[in-house]
Amino acid sequence: MIATLNVRELTFTPVMEQTDKAQKPIPIMQVSGRLDASTVSILERALLRAFSLGAKAIVIDMGEVTYISSSGLRVLLTARRQARERGGDILLCALSPNVRDVLDMVGFTALFSICSTLDDAKQMAGHLPAT
Amino acid sequence: MTSTRQLVVPAQHDQLARLASFVGAAAIEVGFGDAQVNRIELAVDEACSNIIDHAYRGAPGVIRLTVEIESQRQLTIILVDQGTPFDPDRVPAYAPCTSLDEVKIGGLGIHLMRQAMDDVCFEFNVPGIGNRLTMIKHL
Repeated sequence: MIATLNVRELTFTPVMEQTDKAQKPIPIMQVSGRLDASTVSILERALLRAFSLGAKAIVIDMGEVTYISSSGLRVLLTARRQARERGGDILLCALSPNVRDVLDMVGFTALFSICSTLDDAKQMAGHLPAT
Repeated sequence: MTSTRQLVVPAQHDQLARLASFVGAAAIEVGFGDAQVNRIELAVDEACSNIIDHAYRGAPGVIRLTVEIESQRQLTIILVDQGTPFDPDRVPAYAPCTSLDEVKIGGLGIHLMRQAMDDVCFEFNVPGIGNRLTMIKHL
Protein backbone atom coordinates (compact mmCIF):
# COMPACT_ATOMS: atom_id res chain seq x y z
CA MET A 1 0.00 0.00 0.00
CA ILE A 2 1.54 3.27 -1.15
CA ALA A 3 0.21 6.61 0.04
CA THR A 4 -1.03 8.95 -2.64
CA LEU A 5 -1.59 12.67 -2.58
CA ASN A 6 -2.84 14.89 -5.36
CA VAL A 7 -2.80 18.66 -5.46
CA ARG A 8 -4.99 20.33 -8.07
CA GLU A 9 -3.86 23.90 -8.55
CA LEU A 10 -6.67 26.30 -9.48
CA THR A 11 -7.24 30.01 -9.17
CA PHE A 12 -10.24 32.22 -8.70
CA THR A 13 -10.67 35.95 -9.12
CA PRO A 14 -12.57 37.61 -6.32
CA VAL A 15 -15.38 39.95 -7.23
CA MET A 16 -14.94 43.18 -5.27
CA GLU A 17 -17.52 45.90 -5.29
CA GLN A 18 -16.71 49.58 -5.69
CA THR A 19 -13.05 49.27 -6.48
CA ASP A 20 -11.11 50.49 -9.45
CA LYS A 21 -8.25 48.08 -8.89
CA ALA A 22 -7.90 45.06 -11.15
CA GLN A 23 -8.44 41.94 -9.07
CA LYS A 24 -5.62 39.41 -9.02
CA PRO A 25 -6.39 35.69 -9.05
CA ILE A 26 -5.97 33.81 -5.77
CA PRO A 27 -4.55 30.26 -5.87
CA ILE A 28 -6.67 27.39 -4.63
CA MET A 29 -4.97 24.09 -3.80
CA GLN A 30 -7.45 21.22 -3.89
CA VAL A 31 -5.67 18.52 -1.93
CA SER A 32 -6.78 14.91 -1.90
CA GLY A 33 -5.34 11.80 -0.29
CA ARG A 34 -2.95 11.13 2.53
CA LEU A 35 -0.74 13.96 3.80
CA ASP A 36 2.19 12.22 5.50
CA ALA A 37 6.00 12.28 5.38
CA SER A 38 6.06 10.35 2.10
CA THR A 39 3.70 12.72 0.24
CA VAL A 40 4.05 16.11 1.88
CA SER A 41 6.66 17.38 -0.59
CA ILE A 42 3.96 17.43 -3.29
CA LEU A 43 1.97 20.06 -1.39
CA GLU A 44 5.14 21.85 -0.30
CA ARG A 45 6.24 22.27 -3.93
CA ALA A 46 2.82 23.54 -5.01
CA LEU A 47 2.81 26.12 -2.23
CA LEU A 48 6.35 27.25 -3.01
CA ARG A 49 5.37 27.62 -6.67
CA ALA A 50 2.41 29.81 -5.73
CA PHE A 51 4.55 31.99 -3.44
CA SER A 52 7.24 32.30 -6.12
CA LEU A 53 4.57 33.62 -8.49
CA GLY A 54 3.80 36.32 -5.95
CA ALA A 55 0.80 34.90 -4.11
CA LYS A 56 0.02 36.36 -0.70
CA ALA A 57 -3.21 34.55 0.02
CA ILE A 58 -3.73 30.86 -0.75
CA VAL A 59 -6.84 28.74 -0.18
CA ILE A 60 -6.17 25.10 0.68
CA ASP A 61 -9.23 22.93 0.15
CA MET A 62 -8.72 19.97 2.50
CA GLY A 63 -12.10 18.37 1.71
CA GLU A 64 -10.57 15.21 0.31
CA VAL A 65 -7.61 14.89 2.66
CA THR A 66 -8.15 11.57 4.41
CA TYR A 67 -5.25 11.82 6.85
CA ILE A 68 -2.68 14.32 8.13
CA SER A 69 0.42 13.75 10.26
CA SER A 70 2.90 16.17 11.83
CA SER A 71 4.71 16.37 8.46
CA GLY A 72 1.59 17.90 6.94
CA LEU A 73 1.10 20.20 9.94
CA ARG A 74 4.66 21.53 9.54
CA VAL A 75 4.07 22.41 5.89
CA LEU A 76 0.84 24.22 6.73
CA LEU A 77 2.56 26.15 9.53
CA THR A 78 5.51 27.14 7.35
CA ALA A 79 3.17 28.23 4.55
CA ARG A 80 1.11 30.32 6.94
CA ARG A 81 4.23 32.06 8.21
CA GLN A 82 5.33 32.79 4.64
CA ALA A 83 1.89 34.14 3.75
CA ARG A 84 1.76 36.36 6.83
CA GLU A 85 5.22 37.75 6.06
CA ARG A 86 3.78 38.86 2.71
CA GLY A 87 0.76 40.43 4.37
CA GLY A 88 -1.55 37.60 3.31
CA ASP A 89 -2.88 34.41 4.82
CA ILE A 90 -3.49 30.69 4.31
CA LEU A 91 -7.14 29.77 4.43
CA LEU A 92 -8.02 26.14 5.15
CA CYS A 93 -11.45 24.82 4.29
CA ALA A 94 -13.66 21.73 4.39
CA LEU A 95 -11.69 19.81 7.02
CA SER A 96 -12.86 16.25 7.69
CA PRO A 97 -13.52 15.40 11.38
CA ASN A 98 -10.29 13.35 11.60
CA VAL A 99 -8.13 16.09 10.08
CA ARG A 100 -9.74 18.70 12.34
CA ASP A 101 -9.08 16.43 15.33
CA VAL A 102 -5.34 16.36 14.56
CA LEU A 103 -5.24 20.15 14.15
CA ASP A 104 -7.10 20.43 17.47
CA MET A 105 -4.56 18.17 19.21
CA VAL A 106 -1.77 20.69 18.50
CA GLY A 107 -3.85 23.85 18.88
CA PHE A 108 -3.75 24.75 15.17
CA THR A 109 -7.49 25.33 14.93
CA ALA A 110 -6.94 28.46 17.03
CA LEU A 111 -4.04 29.64 14.84
CA PHE A 112 -5.39 29.09 11.32
CA SER A 113 -8.21 30.73 9.44
CA ILE A 114 -10.56 27.81 8.84
CA CYS A 115 -13.74 27.93 6.76
CA SER A 116 -16.46 25.29 6.59
CA THR A 117 -16.71 25.31 2.81
CA LEU A 118 -14.68 26.31 -0.21
CA ASP A 119 -17.26 29.01 -1.02
CA ASP A 120 -16.81 30.53 2.45
CA ALA A 121 -13.02 30.47 1.98
CA LYS A 122 -13.32 32.20 -1.41
CA GLN A 123 -15.48 34.88 0.13
CA MET A 124 -13.00 35.45 2.95
CA ALA A 125 -10.03 35.40 0.57
CA GLY A 126 -11.67 38.18 -1.42
CA HIS A 127 -10.90 40.51 1.48
CA LEU A 128 -7.20 39.64 1.51
CA PRO A 129 -4.41 40.95 -0.72
CA ALA A 130 -3.91 38.40 -3.49
CA THR A 131 -0.55 39.22 -5.01
CA MET B 1 -7.84 -13.77 24.78
CA THR B 2 -4.96 -11.95 23.10
CA SER B 3 -4.23 -12.21 19.41
CA THR B 4 -0.77 -11.15 18.24
CA ARG B 5 0.31 -10.12 14.74
CA GLN B 6 3.54 -8.81 13.32
CA LEU B 7 4.65 -6.78 10.32
CA VAL B 8 8.29 -6.22 9.39
CA VAL B 9 9.07 -3.51 6.85
CA PRO B 10 12.07 -1.52 5.62
CA ALA B 11 12.51 1.79 7.48
CA GLN B 12 11.28 3.98 4.64
CA HIS B 13 8.66 6.72 4.44
CA ASP B 14 6.83 4.88 1.66
CA GLN B 15 5.98 2.17 4.24
CA LEU B 16 4.08 4.55 6.55
CA ALA B 17 0.68 3.99 4.92
CA ARG B 18 1.18 0.23 5.09
CA LEU B 19 2.11 0.36 8.78
CA ALA B 20 -0.88 2.61 9.53
CA SER B 21 -3.24 0.34 7.63
CA PHE B 22 -1.96 -2.72 9.52
CA VAL B 23 -2.43 -1.11 12.93
CA GLY B 24 -5.76 0.42 11.88
CA ALA B 25 -7.16 -3.01 11.09
CA ALA B 26 -6.04 -4.22 14.53
CA ALA B 27 -7.67 -1.22 16.20
CA ILE B 28 -10.97 -1.91 14.45
CA GLU B 29 -10.76 -5.51 15.62
CA VAL B 30 -10.40 -4.34 19.24
CA GLY B 31 -13.57 -2.28 18.78
CA PHE B 32 -12.32 1.29 18.37
CA GLY B 33 -14.40 3.75 16.34
CA ASP B 34 -13.20 5.79 13.38
CA ALA B 35 -11.86 8.78 15.36
CA GLN B 36 -9.78 6.61 17.70
CA VAL B 37 -8.54 4.43 14.83
CA ASN B 38 -7.27 7.61 13.15
CA ARG B 39 -5.46 8.65 16.35
CA ILE B 40 -3.88 5.20 16.75
CA GLU B 41 -2.70 5.22 13.12
CA LEU B 42 -1.30 8.71 13.72
CA ALA B 43 0.69 7.56 16.77
CA VAL B 44 2.27 4.73 14.77
CA ASP B 45 2.98 7.03 11.82
CA GLU B 46 4.74 9.54 14.09
CA ALA B 47 6.70 6.85 15.91
CA CYS B 48 7.84 5.24 12.65
CA SER B 49 8.74 8.61 11.11
CA ASN B 50 10.96 9.25 14.13
CA ILE B 51 12.61 5.84 13.71
CA ILE B 52 13.27 6.52 10.01
CA ASP B 53 14.45 10.13 10.45
CA HIS B 54 16.22 10.03 13.83
CA ALA B 55 17.14 6.41 14.65
CA TYR B 56 18.22 5.21 11.20
CA ARG B 57 18.79 8.73 9.81
CA GLY B 58 18.02 7.59 6.29
CA ALA B 59 20.31 4.54 6.47
CA PRO B 60 18.86 1.12 5.62
CA GLY B 61 17.12 -0.58 8.52
CA VAL B 62 14.06 -2.50 9.59
CA ILE B 63 10.97 -1.64 11.64
CA ARG B 64 9.28 -4.51 13.44
CA LEU B 65 5.67 -3.76 14.39
CA THR B 66 3.80 -6.08 16.72
CA VAL B 67 0.15 -5.60 17.69
CA GLU B 68 -1.52 -7.38 20.59
CA ILE B 69 -5.28 -7.33 20.21
CA GLU B 70 -7.49 -7.79 23.25
CA SER B 71 -11.00 -7.58 21.87
CA GLN B 72 -13.24 -5.03 23.60
CA ARG B 73 -10.37 -4.17 25.96
CA GLN B 74 -7.12 -2.72 24.63
CA LEU B 75 -4.56 -2.56 21.85
CA THR B 76 -0.84 -2.85 22.56
CA ILE B 77 1.58 -1.69 19.88
CA ILE B 78 5.27 -2.58 20.03
CA LEU B 79 7.78 -1.03 17.64
CA VAL B 80 11.35 -2.30 17.54
CA ASP B 81 14.31 -0.88 15.65
CA GLN B 82 18.09 -1.25 15.71
CA GLY B 83 18.95 2.38 14.98
CA THR B 84 20.63 5.00 17.12
CA PRO B 85 18.59 5.48 20.30
CA PHE B 86 16.33 8.50 19.91
CA ASP B 87 15.49 9.90 23.31
CA PRO B 88 12.30 11.96 23.06
CA ASP B 89 13.13 13.70 26.33
CA ARG B 90 15.92 15.52 24.48
CA VAL B 91 13.34 17.14 22.20
CA PRO B 92 11.75 20.24 23.74
CA ALA B 93 8.16 19.46 24.65
CA TYR B 94 5.63 20.89 22.24
CA ALA B 95 3.26 23.37 23.83
CA PRO B 96 0.17 24.49 21.89
CA CYS B 97 0.30 28.28 21.49
CA THR B 98 -2.16 31.02 20.73
CA SER B 99 0.26 32.95 18.54
CA LEU B 100 1.80 31.88 15.25
CA ASP B 101 5.14 33.44 16.21
CA GLU B 102 5.40 31.32 19.35
CA VAL B 103 4.83 27.93 17.76
CA LYS B 104 7.89 25.69 17.82
CA ILE B 105 7.76 23.04 15.13
CA GLY B 106 9.91 20.49 17.03
CA GLY B 107 8.24 17.94 19.26
CA LEU B 108 4.97 17.81 17.32
CA GLY B 109 5.23 14.08 16.62
CA ILE B 110 5.94 13.07 20.22
CA HIS B 111 3.15 15.36 21.41
CA LEU B 112 0.69 13.69 19.02
CA MET B 113 1.79 10.21 20.13
CA ARG B 114 1.24 11.07 23.79
CA GLN B 115 -2.11 12.70 23.03
CA ALA B 116 -3.31 9.77 20.94
CA MET B 117 -2.30 6.89 23.21
CA ASP B 118 -2.90 6.12 26.91
CA ASP B 119 0.63 4.83 27.59
CA VAL B 120 3.85 5.52 25.68
CA CYS B 121 7.04 3.85 26.91
CA PHE B 122 10.49 4.13 25.30
CA GLU B 123 13.27 1.65 26.04
CA PHE B 124 16.70 1.91 24.46
CA ASN B 125 19.39 -0.69 23.72
CA VAL B 126 17.37 -3.55 25.19
CA PRO B 127 19.76 -6.56 25.06
CA GLY B 128 18.98 -8.81 22.10
CA ILE B 129 16.19 -6.51 20.92
CA GLY B 130 17.33 -2.94 20.23
CA ASN B 131 15.13 0.06 20.82
CA ARG B 132 11.58 -0.75 21.85
CA LEU B 133 8.58 1.55 21.96
CA THR B 134 5.42 0.24 23.59
CA MET B 135 2.14 2.14 23.19
CA ILE B 136 -1.17 1.11 24.73
CA LYS B 137 -4.68 2.32 24.02
CA HIS B 138 -7.59 1.22 26.19
CA LEU B 139 -11.04 0.95 24.67
